[in-house]
Amino acid sequence: MTSTNTSTALANRGVPAEIDGPANPLRVVWRAIATIWSVPKARIGVVLLGAFIALAVFAPLIAPYSATDNSFGRSEDMSAAHWLGTTAAGQDVLSQIIWGARVSVFVGFAAGIFATLIAVLVGLSWGYIRTVAGDVINFVVNLFLVIPALPLMIVIAAYLQNGGIGMIILVVVITGWASGARVLRSQTQSLRSRDFVTAAVFSGESPGRVVFREILPNMTSLIVTNFFAAATAAILAEAGLEFLGLGDTTIVSWGTMLFWAQNSNALLTGQWIVLFAPGLCISLLATSLSLINFGVDGLSNPRLREGASR
Amino acid sequence: MKHLRGRITRTALAVIGVTAVLATSACSIDVKNKANNDAPASDGSLLVAADNGSPTFEKNFNPFSPSKRVATTYMYEPLQVINTLDGKATPFLATGNTLPDAQTVVYDIRTGVKWSDGTAFTAADVAFTFNLIKATPALDVQGAWQHIKSLEVKDDTVVFHLKAEDVPAVAIINQQLIVPEHIWKDVKDPLTFTNEEPVASGPYVLDKFSPNEYTLKKNKDYWQADKVAVDKLVLPAANSQLDVVNNGYDWAYAFMTDVEGTWVNADKQHNSYWFPPGGTIALLPNLTKAPFNDLDFREGLSFALDRDKIAVDAEQGYVEAAGQSGLLLPNQEEWLSEDLPNSGAIGQDTEKALAAFEKAGYTKKGDKLVDKAGKQLKITITTANGYTDWLQGLQTVQAQLGKLGIDVKLSQPQPAAYYKALNNGDFDIAITGFGGTGSVFEDFNRLLNSEFATPVGTSTTANFQRFTDPKVDALLADLKAATGEEEQKQIAAELQGVVYEQLPVISMFYGGLWGLYSDKNFTGWPTEDNAYAPPNTWNSTPLLILTNLKKAS
Amino acid sequence: MRFVLNKVGLLALTLWAAITLNFLLPRLMPGSPADAALAKLAQNGPVSPATKAAVEAQLGVPTGSMWEQYLSYLGSVARFDFGVSYTFFPQSVAGLVTAALPWTIILVGLVTIIAFIFGTLLGVLAAWKRGTWLDTLPTVGGTFASAFPYFWTALLLVFFLGYVGGWFPTSGAFSRSATPEFSLAFVGDALYHAILPATTILITSLGGWILGMRSTMINTLGEDYVTFAEANGLRPRTVALRYAARNAILPNLTSFGLALGAVVGGSLLVERVFAYPGVGYLLYTAVTNQDYPLMQALFLIITISVLLANFIVDILYGILDPRTRR
Repeated sequence: MTSTNTSTALANRGVPAEIDGPANPLRVVWRAIATIWSVPKARIGVVLLGAFIALAVFAPLIAPYSATDNSFGRSEDMSAAHWLGTTAAGQDVLSQIIWGARVSVFVGFAAGIFATLIAVLVGLSWGYIRTVAGDVINFVVNLFLVIPALPLMIVIAAYLQNGGIGMIILVVVITGWASGARVLRSQTQSLRSRDFVTAAVFSGESPGRVVFREILPNMTSLIVTNFFAAATAAILAEAGLEFLGLGDTTIVSWGTMLFWAQNSNALLTGQWIVLFAPGLCISLLATSLSLINFGVDGLSNPRLREGASR
Repeated sequence: MKHLRGRITRTALAVIGVTAVLATSACSIDVKNKANNDAPASDGSLLVAADNGSPTFEKNFNPFSPSKRVATTYMYEPLQVINTLDGKATPFLATGNTLPDAQTVVYDIRTGVKWSDGTAFTAADVAFTFNLIKATPALDVQGAWQHIKSLEVKDDTVVFHLKAEDVPAVAIINQQLIVPEHIWKDVKDPLTFTNEEPVASGPYVLDKFSPNEYTLKKNKDYWQADKVAVDKLVLPAANSQLDVVNNGYDWAYAFMTDVEGTWVNADKQHNSYWFPPGGTIALLPNLTKAPFNDLDFREGLSFALDRDKIAVDAEQGYVEAAGQSGLLLPNQEEWLSEDLPNSGAIGQDTEKALAAFEKAGYTKKGDKLVDKAGKQLKITITTANGYTDWLQGLQTVQAQLGKLGIDVKLSQPQPAAYYKALNNGDFDIAITGFGGTGSVFEDFNRLLNSEFATPVGTSTTANFQRFTDPKVDALLADLKAATGEEEQKQIAAELQGVVYEQLPVISMFYGGLWGLYSDKNFTGWPTEDNAYAPPNTWNSTPLLILTNLKKAS
Repeated sequence: MRFVLNKVGLLALTLWAAITLNFLLPRLMPGSPADAALAKLAQNGPVSPATKAAVEAQLGVPTGSMWEQYLSYLGSVARFDFGVSYTFFPQSVAGLVTAALPWTIILVGLVTIIAFIFGTLLGVLAAWKRGTWLDTLPTVGGTFASAFPYFWTALLLVFFLGYVGGWFPTSGAFSRSATPEFSLAFVGDALYHAILPATTILITSLGGWILGMRSTMINTLGEDYVTFAEANGLRPRTVALRYAARNAILPNLTSFGLALGAVVGGSLLVERVFAYPGVGYLLYTAVTNQDYPLMQALFLIITISVLLANFIVDILYGILDPRTRR
């Protein structure tokens, strides 16, 4: 998201249009949206994501009860009063699902943005420079890539006890930026040898300018893809950590709902919906992001555009 | 290509839609009861969920090892087994004990007992065991040699000379598992010895061992073999609650959500449960820190709590709210002081709470409780991550104190870090369990003895709140030396008064022992009416149960 | 040659850093192994002061300064001697790991290979039959399935197929009374127990391979040489499989190599739900019990397998595609 803004902002300041550079920023954004929307899968993704964001934003208005109110009967079946029944602690499941959307959507976007930012900064500079510094970065990125992510997350989460959502975002960012950086680096490497970059270098532009003004705008779709992938990973990682009980189990999120459902043996009491519904929401939210990616792919690579004949 | 899009959208929607419909349309599924699929019905064996593999079993039957297989204590016997519910001792390898004075204990060792390899058991084995744990202190898990000065064998008795007048030491000596000298004298490193072929004196010997399950069979030469009705014990490594409910277990120790709807419902005719209190769950204020060192403040907290609601929310109504006597009730009812109003129970009283807080310097301003500078009162309660019943109780505490205008935060470090924080006094107020050793002296001693109140930052193992009172120390010393029951009760009553008035802990509810039984194959399980043993599957108390069960007719 | 030497140097350096990090990470966790063991004991009843002293003495909790611990750690890593586990005292770490490794390697390894083969084939098909239901079903289905949280899929399978249906065992790698051995009966039993965990991993990982292969395949199908082959009148099937798929598979082979490297550490959640006696479950146990020696050994094995897979893929890629050598 940020990267899209950066590229348009740069264009605003009148950077001369490059080979495939943008002409009118507004038109570019519009064209991007139109391209994404024109892909049916992406369209479903946008609608789904929009629905979840609406759920998160308007939770106080939509939810029938408070998510933490435990004054209802325990492990009740579905009824008119409780569409999805109640939990073993006597909370309304539907209200928890609605309020829980806030955490997942927030964690997904926040972790996605931070991980992408780091990936862009590291990936682009790493791909461009050919000095010793490049080797150092290579070393650091490789290190982060080979350390097993989930165990690392568990150790960090155990260390930063009950930092809550902030902690989970931090953990996901720490373990999630490296793969994006690697992808962006190889793209940078291949763009580095293109004519327009060579031209910019010979015209005396500073390396920073070359990287962030010449190369970056050409990688917009890759960066957006990376963002959605990072956000998806973040949502799943958050759920996994909370399921293992390593998050703050007092907040209401889909992950903690699953933790409590498993903990109170929702399956045994026949309350399988308490286990099913939050997991389905996590999957649908993650799916919506992946579906949008189908449209983003088509932005830079017309071949991947749906419906385009080869 | 336009026509394709419609189709793609439809297919995509269908995939998502089907799943979504599944999610919203179906009602809760009635689970078929497949009880006793695996269960050996009448071959005289007993299926017990006692030992959990992680996820499989490592072979270790060393009775001194903390990571030993649980059933090790079904094979090795102590001198006497103490029912932790009421502190009563049942003789096993000893036939009884006498105290000529408060500094000497004499055990009469049972004769005619054979080890499972046929060798005779003698008083020398007892002496050998105690000398072994003296030579290797890491084996002395009970800390017996902190009480014993020396011991000697006289015919069929073993005489223990204690370091001081120390009646409660009997309880500790009682519990030591006795090993055969003729085997263990040749063990090079008893610490790392895994004892794969255990030779023991108890009712069972090892039968088959595999990574997912092991079985014990009845020791035919057991000295009270006529009391042992179960021919074979089966201990699987996987005992998830699903397994326990479905596979027809005879005995399990597990907290079960909605126990009526799950465990009992699986076999209404035979399945029952018994959840006696096994300890008191309490808030532990750090008495070295303000404002928790202020009695008025603690009184405010105590009156602010609705303990019944906390008990219900934490353990789903399976346990009772705890009184402030420091005793485990009803187990220790005969020790209860008559001076305590309402048997020590304290009800919620918001007005009294606010009055007490005012004395402590906190007044109500709007909907907030503020200090003299006008800042809202904030407290952080420490608990361990993953102890979900405690957490649910604390969330209710949070809500109740929140109503008074106190901002309550919960800190949930991992169990190891939580335990370290308690040890080092690195907390403001924490939740913890106390009591339940079966010995009134031990319970009060660990709760109140200033000997444990090391400075904050240094590690201790009891009295984490760092309570110090020379008068209480004197009472504890008296209780330790007291041999007469009346005298003991009188001192215990005074100690209860201390806990009630000075609030070194704020008791909330009794933690349960979650025993699940089926009387399909065997009867005679301990119950509320016949509380001869707690329902737990670990330590030596299962020996009481295994020698009491009868075949169901 | 310089290219390879460079890579080897980097490998060694990364290895050292990973080993050092393995040393530091567990020690960053609050609370000591004895605290963890005691907290567990305290769950079963009050812990006496003597117990604490005894447990600490038994575990031989690390002594000496951090630097001394580090040096002795490096020494033991070099000797592949990981000492004794705290949780399973007195079992040796090496024994525990060798017992757990085969389960994970066989289960996750096989499933990864199956998922790769099926996913790639489906991806080729999807790209080739672009826009038809043969494309939409695998892509949308794959996208959706790969968004399932691992543990959730596992729990649902346990519930519906294992518990309600009663068709499959819900936990463990073999029957309760079975002892691991090389017999037909035991292998059959183990396979039966592997079905649900394998299905879980398959469901959640298939989508990635489908989508990856599909997108590279689509790119390749647009290349000039493919168009040229088509123009030459070759049968579409020949073009798709012989020309396009063979080239498109290269980047996916990279991912496959990395996925194989990640096999050892990749199934913690699944193994946890199914109580499968593999490396993931062992690691979970080690982490929650602050079992330094076990954690270090497992982290090391997981890291080394990923590192080696990375290294091999890098070298192979350098040989197959000279452009990346710079």
